[in-house]
Amino acid sequence: MENKIRRRTLVQAAATAGVAAPVLAACGSGGGDADGPLKMVVWGGDLDKETYQARIDLFEAENPDIKIELQLIPSDQYEQKVQTMIAGGDGPDIMQVAEGVNTYSSKSQILPLDDYAKDAGLDLEQRFGPVGNLYSYEDKVYAIPDRSGAMIVYYNKDLFDAAGVAYPTAEWTQEDAQAAMEKLTVPGTQWGYGGAGWWPQWWSFAYQNGGQIIDDSGRPTANSPEVVAALQWANDLAHKDHFVPTAAEYADMGPDMGGDPAFAAGKVAMNTTGFWAIGGLLEADINWDIAPLWRGAQQAVSAFGSGLAISRDSKNPERAFKAIEFLTGADAQEVIIDKAQDVPANLEVQQSDAFLAPAWATKPINMAAFGESADFIFRAPFIPQWNEMQAAFNDNLGTFWNEGGDAQTELDKIQAQLESIISD
Amino acid sequence: MSKTIDEAPGAVRDARRAGRRRTMSSRSRKEAFYFWLFISPWLIGFVGFLLGPMIASIYISLTEWDSFTPPEWVGLDNYAKALTEDPVFWKALGNTFYYAAISVPLGLAIGVWLANLLNKRVRGRKLFRTFIYLPTLVPLVATAMVFKMVLAPSGPLNEALSWIGIDGPNWLLDPTWVKPALIVLSAWGAGGATVLLLSAMNGIPRELYEAAEIDGAGAWRQFWSVTFPQITPVIFFNLIMGLIGSFQIFSQVYILTAGGPDNASQMVVPLLFREAFSFYHFGYASAVAWLLFVVIMAFTLIAFRTSRSWVFYEQEVK
Repeated sequence: MENKIRRRTLVQAAATAGVAAPVLAACGSGGGDADGPLKMVVWGGDLDKETYQARIDLFEAENPDIKIELQLIPSDQYEQKVQTMIAGGDGPDIMQVAEGVNTYSSKSQILPLDDYAKDAGLDLEQRFGPVGNLYSYEDKVYAIPDRSGAMIVYYNKDLFDAAGVAYPTAEWTQEDAQAAMEKLTVPGTQWGYGGAGWWPQWWSFAYQNGGQIIDDSGRPTANSPEVVAALQWANDLAHKDHFVPTAAEYADMGPDMGGDPAFAAGKVAMNTTGFWAIGGLLEADINWDIAPLWRGAQQAVSAFGSGLAISRDSKNPERAFKAIEFLTGADAQEVIIDKAQDVPANLEVQQSDAFLAPAWATKPINMAAFGESADFIFRAPFIPQWNEMQAAFNDNLGTFWNEGGDAQTELDKIQAQLESIISD
Repeated sequence: MSKTIDEAPGAVRDARRAGRRRTMSSRSRKEAFYFWLFISPWLIGFVGFLLGPMIASIYISLTEWDSFTPPEWVGLDNYAKALTEDPVFWKALGNTFYYAAISVPLGLAIGVWLANLLNKRVRGRKLFRTFIYLPTLVPLVATAMVFKMVLAPSGPLNEALSWIGIDGPNWLLDPTWVKPALIVLSAWGAGGATVLLLSAMNGIPRELYEAAEIDGAGAWRQFWSVTFPQITPVIFFNLIMGLIGSFQIFSQVYILTAGGPDNASQMVVPLLFREAFSFYHFGYASAVAWLLFVVIMAFTLIAFRTSRSWVFYEQEVK
């Protein structure tokens, strides 16, 4: 018989395929010597790589004795990769950090930079304004701001003109915005606003109401009346008023659909997001511009950005800081806007003509909206447990965003979870 | 003790076992050397990259470790936390059971059904076989993107359901339907099992069917009394692999739903990945991994135990 299947071979095959346990291999080889090239890691795509490299080239031209090796890691793997590098004792000299900065700083995995800044005569307040000490933990600065742009309102001029609605300004209130959304909505085909389900969006409304997610003493206040009102408003816009596409309506437009692509397709009249949408919209077939976010009881808007930090494994932190100082200086920061990558954190560049009338802009864009917004950016709570905090929100608000619901109920649950996360 | 060459080989072996176990002839020493030489890549890989990390993860599971600072010994706290305190762990485990309990039998049933169809002598049989196997070759990310469209609230699937008067749910957005949606996706990969089952069916001797036909067995009867018992070893193999695979489901969840909405599709492996690489709780994640190991081991053992009563091997005549 040729096709006998023997019991033993099957058992062996099953056993070999096995039941895998997690593999935690942390093997490091230690960083290079003190005079070797500096290792710098950033996240992003091709444009980011090109922009960082162009800035590094400027630095190397001016400092021939220092070389920087740039390593770009895809955004969704960045945290894991950097974590593995540091755990293996092979952390980069310079690393890009953002909301998760205090995961590292609270565990002393990145160096406090105050003394380096003082020695270099770098005044963070003067160079970056209020975001100068954004990346600080327990009164020490751990990262130098590098990119920093407020969230802004993108609006479709043609849809506004057709509905006879005046263009948005920073003076709009939440009520004005809602009234405009109503006029801009055509049931089933066009919506007034792209939605506020992402934390930078609805948190902005919470801070506009005078609320806070984490208060100044570090206690969570996620279920305060101001936060509840903001969340309920943001959600009702979709499920009660129907001025915002619901999750189901977005899913019908295509995979991974949301405010950004729907705005580019002319389906929503307003969308709140960061600088990155500009590049794609220049090629889109719609007539658009940008404005600062509207206000509530007070003005508040979130910002997207990142800073540069030095890991504890750096063999030569002085050199690394020298590089960071140069990269966040005016000359190198201008590259960020020249390449249309992002908003440079350096105020001098933000106010320069290079930024306000960029060479690549094929149409006039109200770039001053970024500078205008900079005055009222609120400080998001970058707690060390940032990822866990985000998960607490996502784990409880999934159905709420998809189907509507009561903000108070959900935020009470989230508040309880945040209390346990932060006390840990 | 005789050394004649024409003696039965068994006798020689007996003699060796009795007298000179320790001294090896130069030939067998050489053989042993080559054995270790050729097995060493696998051995080194196993010890270095599997056994070592597994042992390390037992230790890590008894500590609190963020991967940066030195681990802190906490004993069995992580296990206690998973079993008594963390509602997400139980939810994820429940979801994983739900997924495994349906997707494994469903995958087998579809596999057997398809294999049986493809085994019939129809025109274009080879073409059909290729088509059935093709989906398993498509990268999961691409499949997931397509399924996002197929499962959209007004997507093709719900469109089809509406023809027969069913108002389809919002699949991936609805906590009740997100797990069935993942199961539908798993059925997409049934082609892998089909190919194995098909080759097993091909190996069934024609005489058995001829004999059954003479005895007056119809198609259905032939399937249950001839085909099915003959392919039980392959079904068993697919069952074990399916069990292990479905308990370890990761990519589908990670790409399609990220565990949402409200953890309704959170599974154990995505959960432990999140705990380790996003929350920096390596100790807890390792404990969850070992709990999953125990669960998978238990189910695999149960499957092996019960297999004696339903899996038919040709060399054991019953």
